[in-house]
Amino acid sequence: MTIATYSDAIGRYLDFGKKPSGMDIALMVVGAVSGAIGLSFVFYMLFTEGHAAFNTSSDMPWGAPIAFYLFFLLTSSGLSIIASLDTVFDLRVFYPIAKRAVFLSLICLIAGFSILALEIGRPFRMLWALPFAMQIRSPMWWMGVLYSIDLVLLFVKFYLIHVGDWHSRFSHLVARLSFVVCILAPGTLGLVFGMMTMRPAWYSNVMPMFFILTGFTTAVSFMLFFTSLLPRNPLVAPNVNQLYQEVLPRLFFISLLAVIAVRVGQIITGLWSNQEGLEANWLQLHSPYFWIEIVVGLALPTILMAFDSVRRYPRVQFIAASCFNIGVFFSRLEFLIIGQKVPLFKGYWAGYVDYSPSFTEWMLIPAGCGVFLLLYGAGNWLLRLSETEIGNH
Amino acid sequence: MARWGMVIDLEKCTGCQACTTACQMENSRLPGENWQDVLFYSEGEFPSGKLQWLPRPCMHCENPSCLAVCPTGATYKTEDGVVLINWEKCIGCKFCMIACPYGVRFYAAEKQKTQPDVREVFPPTGDKVWDPPYKMPEHVQNPKCGVGIQPENVVSKCTFCYHRISKAPEGTVDLDPNDPELRDFTPACVVTCAPTARFFGDLDNPESKVRKLIAEKRGTRLLDQTGNRPQVYYLAGEAPVIPETRSVRKPKA
Repeated sequence: MTIATYSDAIGRYLDFGKKPSGMDIALMVVGAVSGAIGLSFVFYMLFTEGHAAFNTSSDMPWGAPIAFYLFFLLTSSGLSIIASLDTVFDLRVFYPIAKRAVFLSLICLIAGFSILALEIGRPFRMLWALPFAMQIRSPMWWMGVLYSIDLVLLFVKFYLIHVGDWHSRFSHLVARLSFVVCILAPGTLGLVFGMMTMRPAWYSNVMPMFFILTGFTTAVSFMLFFTSLLPRNPLVAPNVNQLYQEVLPRLFFISLLAVIAVRVGQIITGLWSNQEGLEANWLQLHSPYFWIEIVVGLALPTILMAFDSVRRYPRVQFIAASCFNIGVFFSRLEFLIIGQKVPLFKGYWAGYVDYSPSFTEWMLIPAGCGVFLLLYGAGNWLLRLSETEIGNH
Repeated sequence: MARWGMVIDLEKCTGCQACTTACQMENSRLPGENWQDVLFYSEGEFPSGKLQWLPRPCMHCENPSCLAVCPTGATYKTEDGVVLINWEKCIGCKFCMIACPYGVRFYAAEKQKTQPDVREVFPPTGDKVWDPPYKMPEHVQNPKCGVGIQPENVVSKCTFCYHRISKAPEGTVDLDPNDPELRDFTPACVVTCAPTARFFGDLDNPESKVRKLIAEKRGTRLLDQTGNRPQVYYLAGEAPVIPETRSVRKPKA
């Protein structure tokens, strides 16, 4: 094959001929710059200091990187659920965002895995040690297996719809499989925490459901955030406009209420109980992360999304979705901390574990988000993300 | 095959931490990475406040939760009842540290608790975390059993001095440090314990000293409600010195 033939083959899948919009360029530039700064700094620190550059310790083994990883992975699963609403449940109103949701799910998963690779002690060993171990009693083993399958299915699913195959039997089979996996994977991730009887602040049989719910809500807010950046023309595509202005904001509001109901239950139960380990729930009342979650992540978006006349505006959607994402981001971090705040066995008499992320850990945010924005900007430019099963809208 | 276990007599333990030091030297631990720790805490308030302590090695549980959660099978249990880590399989995910109810696992790749950082004073050779001036001979070190100086980015824990006990003569019931023929096969913390508060032997053998002590002095296991069934037993006597039975007041959050 000549270079020209390769170029033609690639050109069939990527729209190099299309001029990127101003928004695409902005996303790619911001993503590239913040990703480069974040990754360079994190790599430099990991090469010079190793994982001692993180503020984690033997008393607080899981820190901010795991929280960021949770954020991206659960959002990815939620996005995959949104992408399945049309093909699996025949909710045709979601077709216009299905392709974008699959792409966002894919890059969220890549961002999450990238952060995990920077956090885990021996990432390359994981590639062979995990699949061959067959540790079926370990929820983390299942999590690794399911998210790997999820990644493959998302790639296949995106490829199929990118080449226009929305409705073949194979395409529907992949969509259904993907839906099953994107329920099981975050559920298993919930079990990683929910099964830990020795960590009372995490131990809960509803943790898998909580993870699926919060992942789904974050995914809806992601869709709202990114669609609020798109140009809107009600005359060209009234069904799409209805989706952006009515369906998505309403779905976000309902999901928000569900998250609030579960969180209120968790907080009250945690504060009421006397069991050792659960006093972390009282301690979190002094944490700024907790109040960011409550005020910025839950209260503000709920107010903004409560009224139909307000929530239809892209700017309001952008603000509400941004607030919720920031809130969820910090709630994942606080969730990680409260489970480890009271030292195992020693209890409070050894002193509660103090932890706040190091600068290197904070720099994982521009690193992960930078890679994510760069990929999204490039995808929006080159991959026809607004395409639906009935063509471009 | 013996099923090794330990008995610690809290009425004899003076909290001198010789066990901690012996373990550090035997296993080339970093400062603060106390596989065999002695936990100090206070009970009650003035004028009846008391300083208490509890020596705490790895419990080498019969049903260890750290083993169940390990995604790569790096944590395993030997036929003689010892829970070990294969450093060649450990990926440093730290899930076992989350799941161990006793908090007895360590990850060296963290900020050092003491200064200067001994890893800089005695920089590592190869993949090891440091190269201490006094260390276990190379031929005794065994990364598959988590024995010796650990590599970077893996989890470590007490091995019951597996390099010693695994060499004990077949059929040994008690590893008594006072027996010159068995002393070298006995865990370092047991050998060094000046008030002889520690006993090590076969939990499955009714004739072993540890079995008799557990039966006669009401041996207690920590956090028995977890179902992990530790193979380390405590003899508390009449004094409520096991933290589970402590009556201390929680601070206001």
